[in-house]
Amino acid sequence: MVELLLILVSAVFVNNFVLARFLGICPFLGVSKKVETALGMGMAVIFVMTVASVVTWFIQYLILIPFSIEYLQTIAFILVIASLVQLVEMVVQKTSPVLYQSLGIFLPLITTNCAVLGVAVLNIQKNYSFIESVVFALGAGLGFTLAMVLFAGLRERIDLSPVPKSFRGTAIALVTAGLLSLAFMGFAGLVKG
Amino acid sequence: MFAAILSLGGIGLVAATALGVAAKKFAVEIDPRELAILEVLPGANCGACGYPGCSGYAKGVAEGKALPTACSPGGAEVIEAIASVLGIEAVTFEPQVAVVACQGDNQKAKVKYRYLGLTDCNAAQKLADGPKTCPSGCLGLGTCERTCPFDAIEMTSENLAVINRDKCTGCEKCVAVCPRQVIRMTPRKVTTHVLCNSHDKGALIRGYCQIGCIGCHICNKTVPGAFVIENFLAHTNYEKLDELEDIELAVTKCPTKCIRDFSSGYPAGSSFVPTRNDAA
Amino acid sequence: MNLKTFAGGLHPPDSKHYSANKPIERCPLPDELVIPPAQHIGAPAEICINVGDQVKKGQVIATAKGFVSVPVHASTSGMVVAIEPRLHPMGKPLPAVVIKPDGKDQWEDSLQQHDPDQLNADELKKLICAAGIVGMGGATFPAHVKLSPPEGKKIDTLILNGVECEPFLTADHRMMLEESERIIDGINILRKILGLETAIIGIEVNKPDAIEKLTRDCAPHGIQVQPLKVQYPQGAEKQLIDACTGRQVPTGGLPMDCGVVVQNVGTCAAISDTIRLGRPLVERVATVTGPGIREPKNLLIAIGTSLQHMLDQCGGLDGEPAKIIMGGPMMGQTQLSLQVPAIRGTSGLLIFREQDLPRKNFGPCIRCGRCVSVCPIHLQPTTIAAYARLDMIDEAENNNALDCIECGCCTYICPATLPLVQSIRHIKGSILAKRRKI
Repeated sequence: MVELLLILVSAVFVNNFVLARFLGICPFLGVSKKVETALGMGMAVIFVMTVASVVTWFIQYLILIPFSIEYLQTIAFILVIASLVQLVEMVVQKTSPVLYQSLGIFLPLITTNCAVLGVAVLNIQKNYSFIESVVFALGAGLGFTLAMVLFAGLRERIDLSPVPKSFRGTAIALVTAGLLSLAFMGFAGLVKG
Repeated sequence: MFAAILSLGGIGLVAATALGVAAKKFAVEIDPRELAILEVLPGANCGACGYPGCSGYAKGVAEGKALPTACSPGGAEVIEAIASVLGIEAVTFEPQVAVVACQGDNQKAKVKYRYLGLTDCNAAQKLADGPKTCPSGCLGLGTCERTCPFDAIEMTSENLAVINRDKCTGCEKCVAVCPRQVIRMTPRKVTTHVLCNSHDKGALIRGYCQIGCIGCHICNKTVPGAFVIENFLAHTNYEKLDELEDIELAVTKCPTKCIRDFSSGYPAGSSFVPTRNDAA
Repeated sequence: MNLKTFAGGLHPPDSKHYSANKPIERCPLPDELVIPPAQHIGAPAEICINVGDQVKKGQVIATAKGFVSVPVHASTSGMVVAIEPRLHPMGKPLPAVVIKPDGKDQWEDSLQQHDPDQLNADELKKLICAAGIVGMGGATFPAHVKLSPPEGKKIDTLILNGVECEPFLTADHRMMLEESERIIDGINILRKILGLETAIIGIEVNKPDAIEKLTRDCAPHGIQVQPLKVQYPQGAEKQLIDACTGRQVPTGGLPMDCGVVVQNVGTCAAISDTIRLGRPLVERVATVTGPGIREPKNLLIAIGTSLQHMLDQCGGLDGEPAKIIMGGPMMGQTQLSLQVPAIRGTSGLLIFREQDLPRKNFGPCIRCGRCVSVCPIHLQPTTIAAYARLDMIDEAENNNALDCIECGCCTYICPATLPLVQSIRHIKGSILAKRRKI
């Protein structure tokens, strides 16, 4: 139990996917203009990460290892994750247009998101059991959401400030992201791993 | 080797089948015309059509709710393209351009009081009808400049809004925000305009502006029929677009120099050359 | 001493020494009186006389239109020489009745004296409305509306505003010293109308003589005098209620929502005149002061007197005027010209010269948070102002921009001299315009 909790805390804070591992920077900068959309994106990522880690865990231990073709891990994972996300997108679009309106537009963005692939690969590298994989994926998603929401909040505040012209837009966003990352570095060493 | 090909191929096959089935089963109807229209729209999402963005407008047109001519930034080209997507006849469309009908900058127009406040024309207008004595001239606080989605409005160093005719798409956003209705939409091919917005009598105008229209009728005497004078304010006769020959003659005759020729972009001989391009 | 106050606010130098010791002086009539029918909050009155008519002092020249509206009366006897747009304190020309006084200053014959003990609450309210009584503190809200709480609202406390928290102004201070009998009589009439016993007069401790006098005079009537710590904007209704009773008016609510009615002490004196003498509201006390004036004074002026005429009674200008303010320096209105007439809400005329004004260009917000700490409503002025600058109407509304009372504390304290109140007022207008549209 403590083990699982440690994995969760480590994934959310200490080894935050965006701010410490620098994975998933693209949506982090792309859809962080408003807290609302950032939250939507975060939710989508949590969902996809968890499902993807479940599926890839089975692919790894039921197909790749028995046939000893672990070297095809990356390509197999990308294949599975991409089609999985597409599938989810189609289902959501058809079954719940409201959910699709708020969440669906982010799904194509996640298709080839390195953070999702990163979770799947790390699960295998760290030899996590099935439960541990799910918890780790959940934590990674939560950490991603946390970073997104924090950053979107900051950007909303920056919109109100008179930023020098040459710094406006992405420039100040990158500076802010750097500072936020520095802040998260403060968690380093809290949990091993 | 075979195991690799088979297993990856198997995974691919399963995924492909699943996706294929899902695409059929969960297909959502999208009007292909909507996508085709979206394709030809400018993509500025300016909202001139009254819809939140280009995609909303495309949907509206495809559903028959919006007029195919509502995209003024796109001009005749886009309207023709939309018409061809819809398979209807393109309506003739006179491209419009905005003109700031005022030349009363800080040097030329009298100031009623010193305004120290929020840099926003609408806010200033609320305080005793604006800081300029002229009741209808440009206030020069740049609300239109900040509103323009195409960066087509510039403020001169003496705080007067000037429209860059090359960039203006005729979306009318500036017309909507100006508290004094000093920006007008005019047919693009007319290049001579009366730059004044005050209906006050000549003597009154001379009291507060060096360059306002005093309603003296000289322009109309020089080029008969080219101008309309209502309530001591002249404007180009936009209804007779094809009969406006020799209208340039009036430019030199106007005693207050408030008629200007825009055929070469910014009119020469006025304070119109924008100097504050790099303003923050 | 038991000093109460409210949370927030600040204490600008009160500068009341200019005129605090000057007894109220009657200002002679000017050559012409300009009386605009728009003198109160609510629908402007409708002019009901014609050019060339002879009018008498107290005659109705414009009738009330709607419930939140009061009639306007001639301030002296004379002839109506014009009905035309004249510069109004609001800053633009608005219709006004111009009266040339005949010098006799004759009262209208039909005005009747009443004994308040003989009348019931509704009759009294009708008389107050017909006399055009509005809040004399400067807000000019029709008094009869405040005295008519809707069914089901229980009013248990009457608070009298003798705070005069605006710097410079001393009109209410002098009224309390010189006219305490009329004020107390007015309070008794108000208590009768509202059917309640508890009446509290709130006075700031920078007016010890007024506190002393009113405490003495009020004792036999059971009216409580509450000394208050000097703090701006204590004279704002909601802050005064908080200071005197500890009750909070809910967001978007009115003082009646917490069982309180607030009236200015000047209004009480006017109500007493109305009932006992039958005199409508045609004159008021205004403080003419500021460093730009030779002899600051408290003047009893006829409504419609031009600011220039008031100034002439006070020794004229001491130097070139740079800013003319009608009302107090914090919430008063800057005027374009001295030809503007004094109206019912004119509590003062302030003249500043260039050297008296701090002139700084505004800089960026340094996020010091002083505006937040002084805001008596506990809003975040800098945030709302930033939203206003970017026209983010919904965000401003979510930050409760509409609760702002426009007291000016944030603008006063801002080290970057940002136009915070103006920005918030601007976005308030946009929010209300948007609500009307939907």
